Amino acid sequence: MAGSAGLITLETSQKRFARLMALPGMIVLILLVVGPLVYMFANSFMLKTLATPLPPRFAWFKNYGDLFTDGRFWNAFLNSMIIMVVGIPVQSVLALIIALLLNKKFPGSKIVVALFLIPVMITPVVAGFEWKIILDNRFGPLNFVLSFFGVAPLAWLAKPALAMASILIMDTWQWTPFVTIVLLAGLAAIPKQVYEASSVDGSTARETLWRVTMPLLRPMFTLVVLLRIIFIFKIFDPVQILTGGGPGISTETLGLLTYIIGFKNFNVGMSATIAVVQLIIITVIAKLFITLVMNRREGKQ
Amino acid sequence: MNTIALNREDIARRKRVRMIFTVLRFALILIFLAIFLFPVYWIAVGAFKGEGEFYHYPPVFWPSHFDFGNFLRGMTIFGGTQGLITSLIVAVTNTVLVIGFGVLLAYGMGRFKVGGDNMSFFVLSLLFAPPVVATMPLFIIWKTLKLLDTLPVLFLSYILINMPFAVWVMKGFFEDIPHGIENAALLDGYSRFHAFRKYVLPLAIPGIAVTALFVFIFSWNEFLFALIFTRSRTQTLPITLAGMTGGHQIPWGEISALSLIAILPGIILTLFFQKYLVRGLTFGAVKG
Repeated sequence: MAGSAGLITLETSQKRFARLMALPGMIVLILLVVGPLVYMFANSFMLKTLATPLPPRFAWFKNYGDLFTDGRFWNAFLNSMIIMVVGIPVQSVLALIIALLLNKKFPGSKIVVALFLIPVMITPVVAGFEWKIILDNRFGPLNFVLSFFGVAPLAWLAKPALAMASILIMDTWQWTPFVTIVLLAGLAAIPKQVYEASSVDGSTARETLWRVTMPLLRPMFTLVVLLRIIFIFKIFDPVQILTGGGPGISTETLGLLTYIIGFKNFNVGMSATIAVVQLIIITVIAKLFITLVMNRREGKQ
Repeated sequence: MNTIALNREDIARRKRVRMIFTVLRFALILIFLAIFLFPVYWIAVGAFKGEGEFYHYPPVFWPSHFDFGNFLRGMTIFGGTQGLITSLIVAVTNTVLVIGFGVLLAYGMGRFKVGGDNMSFFVLSLLFAPPVVATMPLFIIWKTLKLLDTLPVLFLSYILINMPFAVWVMKGFFEDIPHGIENAALLDGYSRFHAFRKYVLPLAIPGIAVTALFVFIFSWNEFLFALIFTRSRTQTLPITLAGMTGGHQIPWGEISALSLIAILPGIILTLFFQKYLVRGLTFGAVKG
């Protein structure tokens, strides 16, 4: 009895010590976050620009109303959605094919997987430049390769639909390897016996894929889709370099629009408003992530 | 007799089918590999191309002679050296700050649930938030403090980008260490800090090192904050690169040369720490 009581006090004093150690980090984080956050919320209710000398004016929800009736906001919202709705499924299918190809180990398979992953860590600015060179309508290698298939040179970055396609191609190049490695980890976690049982039952390879592999990979797909949604909300550098949102506003994403409102139009109030809207969406996704990914994992352990 | 012959034929046929599948599989792997590595190849050869070779049709897949002038001009007249040095200073300092502040917070959160679920949710939300939302408030704050275009502004701003990541991933590494190690050390009469330093920390070092590498690369690759918070004095390499398109003819050779330098740390991390890449990029959700 005395012993266990002693252990409990040990534990609480240990926790007090841990709290003390965590304090500096917490203070740094909270100082850096809470200040700007409060300031941003306040600004989202103000008419305030850096472009005119007019004093800022409190305007309740006027910025929010203006934002939600602004075609340019919905254009950017739609573009971000297109990258998600088209990009994520394409990348998932491609990644699944590559993961299935790489799943069975062979000599050198580790190196091959590592090589596949290189695009993920490429400096985003460089990725933007690289695709600008590759997609060049006159001298780019892509149009050159397409010419063998009888495709006339495409003005990739000059036409709205093609510019959007360019961004999707770049995004798919950079992120399919990431999806692949997550699915590979999922495939590696499926016990061999499951496949053996399936083959004893006389299932064909296709049946095994749909009835055994895919359901077991579902948690990985959930994880990947959520993370990709988060990454697409964050996307900025490669799009800024590749198209700059153009031609016109045809490839403007939410991230780009936030930047343009703030630092091209100097509209502080509106920039804060669109930031708040994005933070609310992201908070919902973070909650989803915790319930669908983190809690599920803890439940298993 | 007959059935055995049939079986033999059957086995031979199966073997052939399996052979075809294996060949097909490796062919597909090679094709995918070629497609995904092509842009990296294009940067690498571009770095050695002569200027005219960028404006040549059909495109030049292998430079006629390897020209190191791109590196030379990129590093000198295009300001690559300054960008490189600034990038190194910023990335190293930021890594030290983030790991220094983050490791103790991660320890507290991972092993003693300091701050509980709310703290976890707070850190995760920060990790998921698009950095662009913080640019305007930070810009005004840095401007008021007259810190724009100085190194400290990048040190501080990058903490915001990288600390949530580092804390979250290191927290996972601390959770993996068996519980009660501290208690054993305490019962042996060691101080609490000693228990942390001598018993827990050594087990967490590999995880901390990998997290530090990630933080280094994220700072090294960062573009948006540097674009907004710096002018000429503290340009990092990505900003130098982005600024090179200003003239009326774009110097693709020099851009490729500096790009090649810029992507090297990321490639090295990928090739040598592949094991931890899934874990880092999924924020610890997949242990890999």
